[in-house]
Amino acid sequence: MALLDVENLKIYYFTQEGPVKAVDDVSFSVNEDETLGLIGESGCGKTTAVFAILRFVTPPGRIVGGKIVFEGRDIITLSDEEMRLLRGKGIAMVFQGAQSALNPVMTVGKQISEVILEHESITKEEAWEKAKKQLELVGIGSARAKNYPHEFSGGMKQRVMVAIATACNPGLLIMDEPVTGLDVIVQRQLLTLTNDLRAKMHLPIIFITHDLSVIAETCDRVAVMYAGKIVEQGNTVSLYKDPMHPYSKALIRSYPSVKGEKRELKSIPGAPPRLINPPSGCRFHPRCEYAMDICRTEEPPLENRNNGRLVACHLIK
Amino acid sequence: MKNNEVLRVEELKKYFPIRKGLAGLFSSRKAEYVRAVDGVSFTVREGENLGFVGESGCGKTTMGRVLLRLTEPTSGKIYCEGIDITSLNRRNLKEQRRRMQMIFQDPHGSLNPRRTVNEILRQSVRIHKLVDGKAEEDSLIKKTLEDVGLAPTDEFWNRYPILLSGGQRQRVGVARVLILRPKLVVADEPISMLDVSVRIGVLELLLAMRDEFGISLVYITHDLATARYICDRIAIMYLGKIVEIGPTEVIYSKPLHPYTQALIAAVPVPDPTVKMQKLPIKGYVPVTGAEASSTCGFYERCPYAMKKHVGEEPPLIEVEPDHYVACFKVK
Repeated sequence: MALLDVENLKIYYFTQEGPVKAVDDVSFSVNEDETLGLIGESGCGKTTAVFAILRFVTPPGRIVGGKIVFEGRDIITLSDEEMRLLRGKGIAMVFQGAQSALNPVMTVGKQISEVILEHESITKEEAWEKAKKQLELVGIGSARAKNYPHEFSGGMKQRVMVAIATACNPGLLIMDEPVTGLDVIVQRQLLTLTNDLRAKMHLPIIFITHDLSVIAETCDRVAVMYAGKIVEQGNTVSLYKDPMHPYSKALIRSYPSVKGEKRELKSIPGAPPRLINPPSGCRFHPRCEYAMDICRTEEPPLENRNNGRLVACHLIK
Repeated sequence: MKNNEVLRVEELKKYFPIRKGLAGLFSSRKAEYVRAVDGVSFTVREGENLGFVGESGCGKTTMGRVLLRLTEPTSGKIYCEGIDITSLNRRNLKEQRRRMQMIFQDPHGSLNPRRTVNEILRQSVRIHKLVDGKAEEDSLIKKTLEDVGLAPTDEFWNRYPILLSGGQRQRVGVARVLILRPKLVVADEPISMLDVSVRIGVLELLLAMRDEFGISLVYITHDLATARYICDRIAIMYLGKIVEIGPTEVIYSKPLHPYTQALIAAVPVPDPTVKMQKLPIKGYVPVTGAEASSTCGFYERCPYAMKKHVGEEPPLIEVEPDHYVACFKVK
């Protein structure tokens, strides 16, 4: 059994204009010692989907259907107290924008030990020592435990976020756009850190990003999201080599690289739909070069094609 | 001036004074500056896209703004089509601005939310008195909207920016520039705020500006991958200086400056079979040095740094035709 099983998850935001189906019937799972990449454009529902895993969805958003089973328990049915114990210890998260996720009036050491004290019955001093170890682990060094967030650069702050998230040895780590907005060299340093931590701690990770190349360097499996749905899912190497869904194909074809032959890039016409009134049938059909009549009327199911690849497309039989 | 030069920049500097408060007024210490742009020289040829790549804080945005005198330079010369921009008065500058335009990073913030698409473009037409009469204006606006891919134009004519997607807004930003038929356009991170799937569309539009209208582009970005896609030449900036400049493919296949090498090694590749490259350098970009450094700005982080060069700055020298590097190691 997988560590985390998300089944038919539906999250709607109930706005004045009507329900926005941000996540609509999404299923995926994460196994022990595996990194799953969740890739999609802004507004495709990737952040909302993982927010549900930590039950961070707040009104007007609501989980309207589905199951999220983590270590055998359905998260949706847990009490608030059980949920509080799970966050940070069972499942931890590195939030997007470390800039605003850290408390500006508390030293970073304090912020790390705060999490440890919450979940472990140890003294303040022991927690402080552990916090210093965490700072060593992420390459900042314990000497800076008494510094405040504003004394760190963007990349360092993101490292502090990682230190907080991994402080209680979580069973699953979620990273939401951890390198977005960082400079390339700092980005590379953080990706290296992520891969090192994973190797050291055997930490399963869900990695959310809109950047294909970041997924390529970190993830074992990848799920491609479009307009609130997963359209394709599979092993990273095989999916990049042979994408089957027209959206994944187009996305990979539109992605520039600094290495290798300079290849022709192709743009995807149109723009992602607004989810308040998504296109009928397959949500990608207005932008799809292979769209057929059936695509306009009938929604393609996400089906197993071969060796574990899941694709939702009428074209593929 | 060579005939095919659209822009020539000589020893351009922009220093921002560091405010020291009231106490600073009475202190005898010398005024301190952030050297955002610190002696940059380059040329842009006709119909050429020149990319400026660097990390945040390297001065590339300031430089782009100074080129159009949106920010006044501290010293140095800027010649656009042979005219010295730095010495123009307000009226002549306005005249010249028609020939040199800017595309901004944020398509949400750079369009007036209370004007419709046609009004936004009409404003450019009127300010620069491009044509006479409403009918001519309309047909020019219509034609330009088609050029940037906002067709059918009726659909966009009376729309407010809020009703457009990010990609469409940025196309309006391009249209507003294109309608003036400038010779030079400075585009500062024009696609960094757009969705991944619409980025290439806007890049293609920028390429079309060069190919169909002969417009030269200064493309400012932190993204080496897209710069490779649309630039003919690339300049790498570090702490307000150009450390390497040359033809795009040469820079990517044979980077000579250690900083360029690190930048290229750091970019993730969209191919899972390629192993991550080890970073050749350590540390972070220092906070733009207030104190004047007379050593290579990259000294602290450079794996090849040599003690004997402390106190000297490496000049930008031509190592092969059109390829310049500022590094003592490179002969």
